[in-house]
Amino acid sequence: MGAQSADPLPNSPPGLSLIIGQERVHVAVLKSDSLAQPNRIVDVILGLCTLRGSVSQIYLAASKLLGTAIDANIFSAHGIGLLLFDDRRIEEAVPAQATRLEREVAAVQGSDPAIVSELQALKSMYYEMERTISRLREDLYSLRNTNPPTSLPRENSRVIEPQRLYTEPATELPSFFVNNPWLEVLSRRGREENGPLAG
Amino acid sequence: MSTDGYRGHYTFAMDFGTSDFKFGPITCGDTPRVVNNRGYFPDKNSVVYRAFEATSDIIVGEDVPLYLQSSEDLSSRLIYPMRNGVIDKGDQNAWRVVHALSEFGLRSFKPDPNNGFQGYYVVASLSSVSPRYMYEQLMEIFRNSNSNGSIRAVTVIPQPFAVAIGHGVTTCVVIESGHGNSQVCPISKYPIRTAQVALNRGGGDANAITSEILKDAGYADLANEEALVRRVKESIGLVPADLEQSIQEAKRTPRKFRARYKVPGTRIEVDLEKDSWARFLIGEYVFNPNHEIFQSYFGRGMPRPKDVKMGDTVFRGMLDFGDAIVASVERCPVELQPMLYREILLSGGNFSWTAPERLEGSAVDAPTKIKLLLRDKGIRNVSVKMTKAPQFSVWHGCIIYGFAVPDDYGWDWQRLEGWMKLSG
Repeated sequence: MGAQSADPLPNSPPGLSLIIGQERVHVAVLKSDSLAQPNRIVDVILGLCTLRGSVSQIYLAASKLLGTAIDANIFSAHGIGLLLFDDRRIEEAVPAQATRLEREVAAVQGSDPAIVSELQALKSMYYEMERTISRLREDLYSLRNTNPPTSLPRENSRVIEPQRLYTEPATELPSFFVNNPWLEVLSRRGREENGPLAG
Repeated sequence: MSTDGYRGHYTFAMDFGTSDFKFGPITCGDTPRVVNNRGYFPDKNSVVYRAFEATSDIIVGEDVPLYLQSSEDLSSRLIYPMRNGVIDKGDQNAWRVVHALSEFGLRSFKPDPNNGFQGYYVVASLSSVSPRYMYEQLMEIFRNSNSNGSIRAVTVIPQPFAVAIGHGVTTCVVIESGHGNSQVCPISKYPIRTAQVALNRGGGDANAITSEILKDAGYADLANEEALVRRVKESIGLVPADLEQSIQEAKRTPRKFRARYKVPGTRIEVDLEKDSWARFLIGEYVFNPNHEIFQSYFGRGMPRPKDVKMGDTVFRGMLDFGDAIVASVERCPVELQPMLYREILLSGGNFSWTAPERLEGSAVDAPTKIKLLLRDKGIRNVSVKMTKAPQFSVWHGCIIYGFAVPDDYGWDWQRLEGWMKLSG
């Protein structure tokens, strides 16, 4: 599964809040017109840093021009990921480091073991249901496409079936079929008296 | 000849070219779908990869550019499996890309199962120099791709054979020339495999000589950019009727032959000025690298095309096209030889040379050059043509083959032809 959109955290800098698997990721987006405003850049980065306790990873997404103005090592030193984009692609210039999710850790430490156990059971049931649905989907697909059990009369009808549905030749063959001598030559493959001319 | 209504709908062709993968069923008409013959192995740890709904280990098709990261990634993560026409047996990544492309191709044209669909008749094509293991591995790939019954039967045919079929000529010599190599393949209702001649020379070699010419002209910085060198080659390269005469003419009237190329969207312009005669070296090198004028380039470090063995085939480096065609045709029965010389088909991007009208007499196109080379060997009464629709002639040939060959013509590992039944 890909990323799921999540509600942005309070006071988070403008951007995208995503849930990817078990992780929460915030991507602050710095628009091109903000690049000329150093205070704006600092404000966004500081805003990202305040999210450290609430998300797994933080990223700054900015135009590729920023990449030429700032040493990307600064971001990696502080665990902030850097995404640079232009009209054609997005590039992960610096991967983010996982942050310590203090609230989640506290929640786990202080939680009721019974609730944890129930959560785990629910998780297992969910994965089991996913597997079952996937298997049912495959069975349904192969039922649609599988030939019936073979016996001579059925095999004959299976051979006949495509002809019954397609008793007429294709009404419009591509132009390269017109006057092509290979149609006759190839249709006699295996029925010629002599083998290949050479090779 | 009886027509097959089922195959009028469900014949499917796949042309694994050196750069492009062309694919689609007969219902595509004259034009198949085309994507790059490449696959990208994404960095699964990247947040960009995880944010998109990509569950695949390999990305193929139109989505590849969306996943490309920094240029340092490209050499290891972006794989072009068929760059030289042959895939090493152990090159697992290249085979995985071929597998992914095959499945992508079939998935892109999923018929309505309620329409009586019982699997495609799939015809794939490979380079004529592909060794037997490539046929084996490709068949295995199709077998593994058939879990949902999308393939009724599959076969693999050589690309030059497909070209002859697509062009509608049953007795001919097909000469394919691509980026890395060239092959001369006589056909007479069947490929005459024992008479094939392969050359270790292609468009990439024309790029190499162009690069040297740019360095000599003072454009050393541009000479290292492959994409730019290729564009310069295509813009200014000429094939001479006779190299010495064409060079003399160009030196006598340099303005008439002036070679200029402006890089679009930039201020960069290549202008060979009084050295514009060198543009004839580019075309000549492709057809005949033996002229003594090229010795100085070899002496300065430009790689000389060598004889190499790839798979089961020896690729000759310095054999000119005239000698290659004669060597190939003379391996065929004597009665067949005149008929073969009368139908020579040129296929592949490396034959796309134009002869500007104002330079007529000095510059020629590829068919004319081949005729001249054969005339020098004493072979007259030849007819040389470019294939019609060169980009799609292989795919056309595969479609015709898949439509016409009887269902009960089974696959034979000796003759490397016939249908391998996978279902039904």
